[in-house]
Amino acid sequence: MRAALRVFAAEGLKQHRRIFGSKLVVFSMLLWPVLTLATTYYTVLPVTEAPGAAERWPLVAQPGRLLAFLAAGALAYTFFFSLVQSAWHFSWERISGTLEAMFLTPASRMALVLANGSSALVQNAWLFGCFGLAAAVATGTLHLAHPGMLAVAALALLVPAVAWGAFLNSLLMFSRDSAFLYTLLDDPLWFIAGVRLPLFALPVWIKAIGLVFPLTTSLVVLRGALLDGKDVGDLAGHLTFLAVLSAVLLGATALLLRVGERHAQRTGSLQLF
Amino acid sequence: MIVTHELRKSFPAQRKLFRPAGPATDAVDGLSLSIPPGAVTGLLGLNGAGKTTTIKVLATLLRPTSGSVTVDGLDVVDHAREIRRRINLIAGGERMVYARLTGRENLWYFGQLYDVPRAVLGTRIDELLELVGLTDAAGTLVERYSRGMRQRLSIARGLINAPAYLLLDEPTLGLDAPIARDLRAVVANLARDGVGVLLTSHYLAEVEQLCGHVYVVDHGRLVAEGSPTALTAGTRLPHTVELTLAEHAPAVSAAVAALGAEFEVGVDTEERPTFLLRSPEDLAGELATAVVRAGGAIVRLEVNPPTLEDAILAMAGTPTSVAAR
Repeated sequence: MRAALRVFAAEGLKQHRRIFGSKLVVFSMLLWPVLTLATTYYTVLPVTEAPGAAERWPLVAQPGRLLAFLAAGALAYTFFFSLVQSAWHFSWERISGTLEAMFLTPASRMALVLANGSSALVQNAWLFGCFGLAAAVATGTLHLAHPGMLAVAALALLVPAVAWGAFLNSLLMFSRDSAFLYTLLDDPLWFIAGVRLPLFALPVWIKAIGLVFPLTTSLVVLRGALLDGKDVGDLAGHLTFLAVLSAVLLGATALLLRVGERHAQRTGSLQLF
Repeated sequence: MIVTHELRKSFPAQRKLFRPAGPATDAVDGLSLSIPPGAVTGLLGLNGAGKTTTIKVLATLLRPTSGSVTVDGLDVVDHAREIRRRINLIAGGERMVYARLTGRENLWYFGQLYDVPRAVLGTRIDELLELVGLTDAAGTLVERYSRGMRQRLSIARGLINAPAYLLLDEPTLGLDAPIARDLRAVVANLARDGVGVLLTSHYLAEVEQLCGHVYVVDHGRLVAEGSPTALTAGTRLPHTVELTLAEHAPAVSAAVAALGAEFEVGVDTEERPTFLLRSPEDLAGELATAVVRAGGAIVRLEVNPPTLEDAILAMAGTPTSVAAR
């Protein structure tokens, strides 16, 4: 455990230096999500004015709550996509030779990928997280059953996100090409996970695919806990599903890391780029 | 001690869609060698001989296809994690360090991954920075380092866990001569302190200076082993003697021919007669005596014994084993 904590400390420093290489990154950490949120809001706005929209989706009649709904989506998406970016950067470690240097050490591979993902997550998303929470409080859209639901929402976002990030990193043990992460997980993730639209508006088959991505259920919990005043009892089913999904992702990560390292030891692929 | 027995490593051919995979590539083929603690052992061969593959198997980055590798009696496959605590690898070039961390932060990062005790990590980082001459640049981001500085940092990284065995794969590649000389001194000191070192290098003078025992591999197979001196002598390569006379002396050619060695006659840029003599033994003394007795006036005499490089080149083209113990 102590050795794993030291890996977390090391990765924390590394991710900090990588992400904060330039001071301008602070602006992109806040401005990029805010711009994305604004784009989404004004894209959705014409839809809300369509005849009968308010009957199917009552939220459209309350612009403040609609914005909060979309902001929660953007916040959760920022968390999850920062892990896609982190995995992409992880793949660059092959080129710099540092992936091989990491695998020369006795450090736990699981600790390495978990530390890599969680460090990137915390450092990428803290600013927008604070901004989103402050905005929700200021605009009166924050509606909690009790203060403890803030912690439940945070855990429902962080734990699956870290498991997701570790899983993506472990996939890159097999593939040198990380571009597929962006292709598969940028715009499709927006759509499938219900970031822009409520899940009921999506076809059943897309909803089924969306369940595979932890972002989908994290978002349901986040919106329920922060905007709709639901408590743990109301969200128990979703929380259980998230816990199971996170455990499955972590189990798959452990397996992929073991198989992936063995594959690399057999083929020499760790040094290829 | 690191011991490999009949080590074989083959890489499977890459699978291609709708086409059968080609044959596997044998990078190391039945290699048996020993790397004792407290000594520098050389591993030599031409490009593609299997040196780097061997080193990566010893470093646990690759898994043997067959044969065994043990480090202090621990199997490299079954006890990989324990072995990683005892070894480290330094490869030539400027890779294996993080450009956006400072030199000190890089060493701290890897110290954390190796779980170096906190009580000694700070001191060890200072000592290593001093050792590789980077104390003044310790707080500078590595992206601002020169190539040589990055490589020196990579060397310090390889020593952060105070390894019992150090695997050096072309460690002085691209280093300035004074830095390379300092590194050789560091390696010699490490061996004196009990570290077992395996060295591959294209700078054979470096190998002759540092290694007490050398293994020569070609196409993954051991073709010779022994001390650098024994390896050079074992190939029976000729010594060459170059002789320049002040002016032509008719009796000299006959005197040289009488020595029974292969020789060539020519002229230098100042039109003075020259003789190039090749012989398994050093015939410089006999040649000088014979020339002087024949009336020749010697203005230059240069003896070139065969070098380790000549021996390696000769062995690389020799399929049969050359025992040079």
